[in-house]
Amino acid sequence: MLYEIKESIILSFDALRSNKLRAFLASLGVVIGISIVIMMGWLLGGLDKAMQDTFSVIGTDMLYVDKWDWTGGDKWDRLRNRKNVTMSQAEQLKELHGSAEYVIPNINQWATTIEFGGETYAGMTAVGTTAENVHTPVGNLLLGRFFNDFEEEYGSNVIVIGYLVYATIFQGKDPIGKTIKLNGRPLRVIGVVQKRGTMFFDFIDRQMFLPLKKYAGIWSIDKRSMSIGIKAGLNKDLDEVRNETIGLMRIIRNLKPNEPNDFSVNETKAFEKSIADIRFQVYTVGIGMTLLAFIVGIIGIMNIMFVTVTERTKEIGIRKSLGAKKRSIWIQFLVESSILCLLGAFLSLVICSIIAYLAATYLPTYFPEIGFLLPVLPTELFIIAAIVSVLVGLLAGLIPAIRASNLDPVEALRFD
Amino acid sequence: MPKTIIDIRNISKVYKMGTQLVHALRDVSVSIEENEYVALMGPSGSGKSTLMNILGCLDTPSTGTYLFNGTNVNELNDNELAEIRNREIGFVFQTFNLLPRASALKNIELPLVYSGIKKYDRLDRAEAALKSVGLEDRMEHKPNELSGGQRQRVAIARALVTSPSIILADEPTGNLDTKTGNDIMKLFQNLWEKGNTIIIVTHEEEIALHAKRIIRLRDGLVETDEINQNQVTFN
Ligand SMILES: Nc1ncnc2c1ncn2[C@@H]1O[C@H](COP(=O)(O)OP(=O)(O)OP(=O)(O)O)[C@@H](O)[C@H]1O
Ligand SMILES: [Mg+2]
Repeated sequence: MLYEIKESIILSFDALRSNKLRAFLASLGVVIGISIVIMMGWLLGGLDKAMQDTFSVIGTDMLYVDKWDWTGGDKWDRLRNRKNVTMSQAEQLKELHGSAEYVIPNINQWATTIEFGGETYAGMTAVGTTAENVHTPVGNLLLGRFFNDFEEEYGSNVIVIGYLVYATIFQGKDPIGKTIKLNGRPLRVIGVVQKRGTMFFDFIDRQMFLPLKKYAGIWSIDKRSMSIGIKAGLNKDLDEVRNETIGLMRIIRNLKPNEPNDFSVNETKAFEKSIADIRFQVYTVGIGMTLLAFIVGIIGIMNIMFVTVTERTKEIGIRKSLGAKKRSIWIQFLVESSILCLLGAFLSLVICSIIAYLAATYLPTYFPEIGFLLPVLPTELFIIAAIVSVLVGLLAGLIPAIRASNLDPVEALRFD
Repeated sequence: MPKTIIDIRNISKVYKMGTQLVHALRDVSVSIEENEYVALMGPSGSGKSTLMNILGCLDTPSTGTYLFNGTNVNELNDNELAEIRNREIGFVFQTFNLLPRASALKNIELPLVYSGIKKYDRLDRAEAALKSVGLEDRMEHKPNELSGGQRQRVAIARALVTSPSIILADEPTGNLDTKTGNDIMKLFQNLWEKGNTIIIVTHEEEIALHAKRIIRLRDGLVETDEINQNQVTFN
């Protein structure tokens, strides 16, 4: 059987070679179908990667205790009436928390303007935080270092800037040791955070981090709600840490047992839904188009296989007269239609690779939102394309192959 | 006592053409033994090819029994018939019936492929068969690169390669000139002398005279079945 398949593969290439144009036209539907599958997989692959990147920006082992809910699940005006998360609550949580590795208060001053070298730069976010933030994804630095416990303790005039702050203000020049001004207060740049932003988060690269004490000297920390970052540590059970966090926050905020939480514990899961929505859209459009293309493709291949069987009636008769069993005959035609589809898949992969490369290289310049496109096709798509095409080939070749194997040998031999 | 290879009894073959019934064979009984050399003769339409196809297990009779080497062919399924064709029968056709895209060697190899014989073994045997018909220098030639006589030699080599019990040739010289036809008949004589069993369909008297026994059909019936007293042999 294996040998027969091998022999049939050689035969099929011979047959296809002698009829290239026809083979190409016949497989066009399959080429289109497989191309859609590949492009869909490519888009979803890019989305997944963007999602992974987003998660790693925030940290998959991080929880954030907030007044606001990232999922937007609750009504905004209901959330607005919640009491602020305060510095003293953050300190109590840090004191009491047993399962968390780090508890890190953060306070944001949005729409901050930076002065440097006589220019002003608007739209940045100042974040007052602790030195322990170096253990979160913020701690992955491109240049310099994060501020230390000592600088935190004394509220030193130091600041660590995000990638876009660095790119906008310093444009590649060395920023370390330079002084920038926030609200007229001078701060020495000691570090630059690596680029972290993705399609979902580019504001994150406009952040800059300074010791909480310093922040408190520039802005008030009482009027604004904090965000308490909680690092579980990668080998900790996130559920356990979340449960303890919720329990402690309820105590700290004096909630009665029947009262709902008046705070949110946010995590990267919140973004899975928006990704899932996009995925779903890609899938529905893609699957519809794929089905259509495959129906057309299967009809095309089936048609060409019927023609092939008719053309080779005499050959089938000869083979039968020499002792070919039905099995040998249908294997031959199934192999041929599968190879036809496999070649179609190969063509699709070549075309799609080129499209993917060009799209990912040039399009994001004009449409930054699609920066998630991958320049190379994910490897598993090659395997999927191969498997799908062989399945289509088998499906399309089935009826012609059965017809061929059922031909009467005497009739077939008489055919010209 | 010599072994009986073919034993057909009261065989008939009826074709339906619309409402009309065509009796290609009516009540034919023939028995053929090992190492016989038989010519099947008769006018066009007398049922020679029909009988040949039945003897070769390509077709089945409408009524009657067919014992091949003692096996009742009527009771065999498609796969078993294919196996008999593959192992026991070597066909030679008037129009050669070689696969046009395959080399001479590949064509000869084909029956061995269907018997599941290993590659190196196949090549050995195919080469030996090609040598036995004197075409060892034409192995890689495609049919359209060979003359008619050479094509028929390839076809005979292909029929021989599985060492079948019997070789069935339907008008093997029909598409060849007299001289080439004679070469082919010489080849059949050689095979017969080596112990092969051969049945040749022909409507040419000179060709039939090479056989040891001549069966004449007319209108689907055996008209005569006798030993050829004037057998013509090549030296
Ligand atoms: N498939 C078929 N359908 C209908 N009739 C058939 C079929 N095959 C053969 N016949 C008829 O059966 C009869 C015998 O045909 P067969 O081919 O056996 O003749 P033959 O002796 O080989 O003739 P020739 O010398 O011309 O080859 C003919 O009348 C033919 O028309
Ligand atoms: Mg005939």
